[in-house]
Amino acid sequence: MIFLDDVTFGYGKRPVLQNATLKIAADERVAILGGSGEGKTTILKLVLRLIRPDSGRVSIDGTDITEMAEEELREIRRKFSIVFQEGALFDSLSVKENVAFCLREFSKMTEEQIDAKVRELLRVVGVEAAINLMPDELSGGMHRRVAIARSLAAFEPKMFLYDEATTGLDPVNAERICHLINELCKEGTGLIIVTHKVIDALRVAGRFLFLLNGRIVFDGNKDALLGSDNPAIVEFLNEFRYEVK
Amino acid sequence: MSIDFKRAVDELQEYYILSVKGLLGIFRRPFYGKDFIEQMDYSGVGSLLIVCLVSLFIGMALSLQLAAELSVMGLKMYTGKVVGISIIREIGPVAAGLVFAGRVGAGMASELGLMILGHQVDSLRVFGVDPIKKLVTPRLLSSIVMLPALTIIGDAAALLGAYYIAVFVSNQSSYVYWTSIEHVLTFQNVFSGIAKPFVFGFIISSISCYMGLSTYGGAVGLRRSTTRAVVYSIVMIIIADFVLTRILLYALGFSV
Repeated sequence: MIFLDDVTFGYGKRPVLQNATLKIAADERVAILGGSGEGKTTILKLVLRLIRPDSGRVSIDGTDITEMAEEELREIRRKFSIVFQEGALFDSLSVKENVAFCLREFSKMTEEQIDAKVRELLRVVGVEAAINLMPDELSGGMHRRVAIARSLAAFEPKMFLYDEATTGLDPVNAERICHLINELCKEGTGLIIVTHKVIDALRVAGRFLFLLNGRIVFDGNKDALLGSDNPAIVEFLNEFRYEVK
Repeated sequence: MSIDFKRAVDELQEYYILSVKGLLGIFRRPFYGKDFIEQMDYSGVGSLLIVCLVSLFIGMALSLQLAAELSVMGLKMYTGKVVGISIIREIGPVAAGLVFAGRVGAGMASELGLMILGHQVDSLRVFGVDPIKKLVTPRLLSSIVMLPALTIIGDAAALLGAYYIAVFVSNQSSYVYWTSIEHVLTFQNVFSGIAKPFVFGFIISSISCYMGLSTYGGAVGLRRSTTRAVVYSIVMIIIADFVLTRILLYALGFSV
């Protein structure tokens, strides 16, 4: 479904992603690991063509989207549901209005139907009580949950994208979010989670990529990851081993 | 040097595209009426007090200066006329524009900049919502509508301030002052003063939206875009004021 072919991207003169080639099937559950600034989020942005690669091609379901116009990209983007880091809720809208945003924009539902749908989605993610709160009144965990509910509101995504979905959360809330991610990812639906928390990646993914200096230096399953002798990966996994102990 | 020049040309091109798309958004569906009203409230009603306050004191200071100078020549009965022409044609629109740039321009740039940094604009794009239509068009339209209204109210406040000084400090006749103002309120003068804020509103909002949406680099980047939005808006208002004054004087048949 997703094909990045020799993609390079940089911000100004600073290279972020270098010669990345990657194929991800529609039903795969992939975790992209690595330290800060290694280009993890950049991959998600390239998949959605929120940024244009400096070189290389990006294809979704066999369609090359590298040079596609913004209007044409809308259909492609609706195949995905993304939860950005920190949730990216609209500050000026309440929780209800945030979740109802896409329903109001793209559906012909009545206010009663929208209200019922919003309540149902908030119940699924476990924050129904926060329906009338503003984003700045939510805790970190609630923020992510509302963002997940909002991303589910309008479309039937083929793949979920999560950008640091558990970063900044306490272990209990992080586990709850991982549980929610697993529940939502039904059979035939894939996910890509970008994270630097190995324990959360292991909870939701079956395939792991490791980025170092903007390059994909590892691509394999859990056993291969845990058994890797790459010094950078070994050092990265030490945090996880410490948590397990 | 050539890289800087190329970047400047690129930025100018991006600004031009954003402005044109933002303006065309007024005529294309979907219409974001609620956002437009919210922006009118923020930029218009929210700026009312500060525009009145600034205009009032500008009118008072101008009246003081002119009364003092005209008294020397024995012409202080012309204070109302000179103050009226200055405020209605020139100082009122520019003062309102500068206040608007400082308050609304900075607000727009920082709000949109934060939306960029917080991935809210990316979220809109992923949902299939055109950020220019949703964010830029209501801001452009509300500024174009509200700045002329603020200018008229600011002019009134400035004339009241000038009246207070002329009558109660300079001991001039109230009747002479208001008669002078009445004579100054010709179509040419009023049109000259009202045409400018439409252009200023567009300049301030388009520059501020562009600067906000091109934010990068965290808190430092946000500071940079907000500062640039205000500084560029102020400089462009002053330049546009000169150009418009020249055009309007010619078009309205004033001889220089």
